[in-house]
Amino acid sequence: MDFFLQQLINGITLGGVYALIALGYTMVYGIIQLINFAHGEFFAAGGYMGVILISYLSSQGVNPYACLAISLVLSMGYCALLAMAVEQLAYKPLRQASRLAALLSALGMSIFLQNGLMLTQGVYDRPYPTEITSGGFEIGAISISYMQILIVALTAFLLVALNILVFKTRIGRAMRATAQDKVMSALVGINSNRIIALTFAVGAGLAAAAGIMVGLYYGSVNYTMGFVPGIKAFAAAVLGGIGNITGALVGGLIIGMVEIFAAGYISGEYKDVFAFIILIGVLYFKPTGIMGENVDDTRV
Amino acid sequence: MKRLLVLAVALLALGLLLAGCGGEEQKAEKVLKIGTMSPLTGPYAADGNDIRQGAEIAVEVFNEAGGIPGFSKIEIISEDTACDPKQAVAAANKLINEKVTAVVGAYCSSSTIPASETLAEENIFMLTPASTNPKVTERGLKYMFRTCGRDDHQAPAAVKFMKDVEGVKTIFIVDDKTTYSQGLAEGVAKAAEAAGIKVLEHDHVNQGDKDYSAVLTKVKAAHPDLLYISLQNSATGALMVIQAKRMGIDAILMGQDAVYHPKLIEIAKGDAEGMFCTFGAIDKNAPKYKEFLAKYKAKTGNEPGAYSAYAFDSATAYLMAVKDAGTTDPAKVRDALLKLDFTGASKQIKYEENGDSGSNYTVYKVQDGKFVPYWNSLTGQKL
Repeated sequence: MDFFLQQLINGITLGGVYALIALGYTMVYGIIQLINFAHGEFFAAGGYMGVILISYLSSQGVNPYACLAISLVLSMGYCALLAMAVEQLAYKPLRQASRLAALLSALGMSIFLQNGLMLTQGVYDRPYPTEITSGGFEIGAISISYMQILIVALTAFLLVALNILVFKTRIGRAMRATAQDKVMSALVGINSNRIIALTFAVGAGLAAAAGIMVGLYYGSVNYTMGFVPGIKAFAAAVLGGIGNITGALVGGLIIGMVEIFAAGYISGEYKDVFAFIILIGVLYFKPTGIMGENVDDTRV
Repeated sequence: MKRLLVLAVALLALGLLLAGCGGEEQKAEKVLKIGTMSPLTGPYAADGNDIRQGAEIAVEVFNEAGGIPGFSKIEIISEDTACDPKQAVAAANKLINEKVTAVVGAYCSSSTIPASETLAEENIFMLTPASTNPKVTERGLKYMFRTCGRDDHQAPAAVKFMKDVEGVKTIFIVDDKTTYSQGLAEGVAKAAEAAGIKVLEHDHVNQGDKDYSAVLTKVKAAHPDLLYISLQNSATGALMVIQAKRMGIDAILMGQDAVYHPKLIEIAKGDAEGMFCTFGAIDKNAPKYKEFLAKYKAKTGNEPGAYSAYAFDSATAYLMAVKDAGTTDPAKVRDALLKLDFTGASKQIKYEENGDSGSNYTVYKVQDGKFVPYWNSLTGQKL
C-alpha cells in the first residue's frame, strides 16, 4: 500500500509537469489548428532562463523564495516574448498555407531553438542550486518532497488562473471567439493576429514555469530536455482532447501516472511504451480524446 | 549571356588557380592527419568533448616539440558520432576520405564496434580511450587498440569491493540498456551471484530519462545494502543520486566509469557525498599528469573529464609509434606500438598483442566534493 501511495505521489508530480506543457499545445491547437512542435523548446528555454536567474539572484544574497518567485515570473515573461517572436517569424507568414507547411516550420523551429540553446549555453548539463528546494517530510513510509508539493500547487494555481483568463475576461472571450471562427470574429472587431500571438505567449509562459519546476525537481537542465517531455505533453494533449484545457490537465495526469505505474510495477524500460499504447488506444476508440466532445464551449 | 560567359570563365580561372595552389602546397608539405571520433552533441557530449580535447592536446604537445621528422605538421580532424552506430560509420568514412592514419575514439562501445570494422578495411588504426565492452578487442582486428580497461575487469573489481570492504549482502542494479551499461550491469550481477551477494532486482530505465522516482521507489521498498548505478552518462547518474537521496534511500550508492566525472559532483553536490565509483586509477600527483593538467586547463579552461587523459595517451601512443617507426605504414607502426612502454597521463601504457592495455580499476569515494581514491582492486588495499 505504501508502495502504491508513493508511486501515486510520484505520478501526480510528473503528471502536473506534463499538464503544464500540454496546456500550451492545446491552446495553440485550439486557436489555429497547429501542432506547435517547438513548444518543448520553450520548456527548455524556460528551464535555462530559470537557472541563470536563480544562480544570479542567489549569488546576490536574495532570499531563496523571493529568488524563485522573481525568476519564475521573469522566465515566464521571457518565454512569452520568445514564443511571440517565433510565431511572427515561423507561423504567421504561413497562416494561409497548407497545414503541413506550418507543421514543418514548427519542426524546423524546434531544431533551430534546440541548437541555439546548445550553442549559447553549452552541451553540458547545467546544475540548479538545489539548496532552495531540497528537503521534505515523511508520512509513515511515504516521503514527500517540498518540491513535489510546489509542483502540484503551482500547476493548480496556474490552471485556475488560466481558466479565469479564458472564461472570465474579455481577452478570453476574444480567444474563444477567434478559435470558433477567425473571419467572423475579425468582422466584429477582434484583432485575431494579436489574440493568436497572445495565445502563444500564454502557452509558452506555462511551459517556462514547467521548465523551472523540472530543473529544480531533478537538479539540472540540459539543452535536449525539451524533446521527450514535449512529445509526452503532446500525447497528453491529444489524450485529453486537443483544444480542451481541462483535457490537457486530465491527459497530463494520466500519462504521468501510467508512466510511473508501468515503471513501478513492470519495469522502467516499458514506461514510454505504455504511455503511447494508451495514446494509440484513445486515438483508435475515441479520436476526439477523453474530454473532447463539447468542443465549442471549452475550446480556446 | 555574355555576362554569364565572363562569369564562367572567371570561375574556371579561379578554380585552376586554387587547384594549382593546392597542388603546390601538397608537394611542399607532408601532413600527418589523425582523427577523433566521439559524441560532440547529444546527451554524451560532455564525455565526447573531453575525448576530443584530450587528443588535441597530445597533438599540440607534439607540434610544439617540433613535430615528427618527415612531417611538416600534425593535424587533427574531429568527427561527431552522437553515440549513434550509423553516424559513427559515416564519421569513419569521412575520416577515411580525409586520409587519416589513425582515429582516437569512439566513446560508446556500440559506436566503436561498427566504426572499427569500417576503419579496419583501410588498415587505419583505432585507439579507443573509453569503450570498455570486451568485444571491442575480441574480434581479432589488427589495428584496434584500447587504452582504458574492460567491463569484465571492472565488474569483478566492483563486486570484490562490495563484498570485501563494505560487507554488502544484497544489491539492486539499474542500467539504461546501452551495449556498455547493460553489459557491465549483467557482469556485476553474475559476479555478485558468484560471490554470494543476492541481486534483489536488475531493473532498466531509458536513456535520457530524468524522472527516476518510480524505480527508486522500488529500490526503497526492496531495502538493498547497495544500489549499483550503471548509466551511460554522468549527468543522468547525478539525477539518480539526487533523487535517491531525496527519497530517503540509505543504501550505499555505487557507480561505474561513465558516471565518474567531475560533472556528477557539480550537479549532485552534497547528495553525491559518500558515493563510490570504479574508474581506472590516475595518479594525480604524477609529473606527467600534472603537465597534462596544466596544458588542458590552459587550453580549455576546464578540469579534464573522465576520459581526457586516456584520449591524450591514446593519441600520444600512436604519435610515438609513428615517430619510432619513421613511417605511417600500418604494419610497422603496429610493431612500434606494441613495443611501447611509457608512463602516460593516465597510467603505464603497455599494449598487449590483442590491443588491450590491462586494467587498473580503483574505487573512488566522493569526499568533500571530490573523487578520492579509496581502494585498489588489484592489491585489495585501502588507499
